[in-house]
Amino acid sequence: MSETISVEAFRLLLDRAGIRVKPESFEDMRNAYTLLQAMRERVRTSRGYDAEPAHIFTPADR
Amino acid sequence: MVSDPTLLTIREASTLIATRELSPVELTQACIARTEALDATLSTYVAFTPEQALDAAKAAEAEIRAGHHRGPMHGIPIGLKDIYDTAGVATTGHSRLLQSRVPAEDAFTVAKLRESGAIITGKFGTYEFAIGGPSFDLFTPPARNPWDPSRTTGGSSSGSAAAVATGMVLGATGSDTGGSIRSPSSLCGLAGIKPTYGLLSRRGILPLSQSLDHAGPMCWTVEDAALMLQAMAGHDPLDPACANVAVPDFAGTLGAPVKGKTIGLIRHFHETDHEAAPPVLAAIEAAIAVFRSLGCVVKEVTLPPLMDFAAVGLIIMSSEAFAIHEADLRATPELYGEIARDRISLGGLLTGADYVQALRRRRELCAAVAEAMIGVDALLTAGSPFPAQPIDQVPKWLMYQKPSITMPFNVTGLPALALCAGYEEKTGLPVAIQLAGRPFAETTVFQLGHAYEQATDWRARRPGLLAA
Repeated sequence: MSETISVEAFRLLLDRAGIRVKPESFEDMRNAYTLLQAMRERVRTSRGYDAEPAHIFTPADR
Repeated sequence: MVSDPTLLTIREASTLIATRELSPVELTQACIARTEALDATLSTYVAFTPEQALDAAKAAEAEIRAGHHRGPMHGIPIGLKDIYDTAGVATTGHSRLLQSRVPAEDAFTVAKLRESGAIITGKFGTYEFAIGGPSFDLFTPPARNPWDPSRTTGGSSSGSAAAVATGMVLGATGSDTGGSIRSPSSLCGLAGIKPTYGLLSRRGILPLSQSLDHAGPMCWTVEDAALMLQAMAGHDPLDPACANVAVPDFAGTLGAPVKGKTIGLIRHFHETDHEAAPPVLAAIEAAIAVFRSLGCVVKEVTLPPLMDFAAVGLIIMSSEAFAIHEADLRATPELYGEIARDRISLGGLLTGADYVQALRRRRELCAAVAEAMIGVDALLTAGSPFPAQPIDQVPKWLMYQKPSITMPFNVTGLPALALCAGYEEKTGLPVAIQLAGRPFAETTVFQLGHAYEQATDWRARRPGLLAA
């Protein structure tokens, strides 16, 4: 499980993304960010080059 | 003489309309009366348009009397989730941000429904932009569950679900990005299908996450869902994701024997990955027995962990939703309700690499599911892991805490049907199963769902407040 991000670091992330958060939502979102981090860690694993978001042409496009 | 036409199925009402034993005007008036009696309790509509509905019903009646019956949806009252564009009627996404937005054109699927002769009664409340809810800080309150109005309908197609369960309409449109058709269908005792990605056009429907968004119908029975899906389907060259495929006769094959069909039970989804409540587990075991009694083969299949699907789905959904809303969130955040604003804003903290990694993992998950479906006609798991919760106790970050049991079929794009599988003994709240099929194999999913419905008597019960 990811550690909860510090208040300062979370504020920096929000500022960098240009996101304004209401003061009453700040702690709630900081805690939710921990859950999001766990999701990110789950998908940021090594995988083969064939796992790719390919753009596919159908025969009708030729 | 029909005693209460609002409780007819679309098939039943359609048959009576075709034989002129039921008038579309009489049926529409009954649905309007039901709405006037219950909407103050259930808060289903954000825009109720009874006069327009009656005008359309009169036109349908005249047309049918003149000998032109268009088909099973002709004269049937339906409602639309308020993210479907309607020409001349506001489409708001249940958000103050779009409260005065009046589209000039119908969404493609709305135009198709009008062509089928369906009578549109208005626009139903939704979680704000199909993501934020249940919210009490929007311009109208959230819809309530007709089986117990202190409970949530589930979301995001919330008003649609409450209205169908109570006969305010006989069918409704929903949309499904992570389960927004199947969750409310499960919690309100309906049959709701998220069809294959690309079967239905999304043009004219407010987007949440383009690579996961699906349109679809929510009805009382599987057969009705098949009939309504038929009316919504058709290739739309202006939706880049809409597949140019032949649309089969979805309802035409219902009733065919399901003996010999193989169902893959994803037991780990509902028993360990997201442990379902005891009544849901019992309902699934009972459903397995029903399918076996119908001659189906039920065998267990193992897919990647549910949390992997949830992580991929949430990262893609959050990233795409933020991209859609970024400018408005920066300019006018105060116009959003708290839940939508906070959930969408969180997506702004993801990186491009996160998004790409989620897309790459998605490719692996799709391949794993395709492999598990070799020799399997449909997959079976819970429609929702739990019955409806109290409406004021729905966790704001539930999808981040517990993996969604519906998201795998948004990530893979496979057709998935939620249908009622009984009622919790203590509370009377509906519980549901979910059947998923191969790409564009809606007919198989409908056949199995319909056979199950015919073998059980869950459709005989309606919410208790209808008796009050």
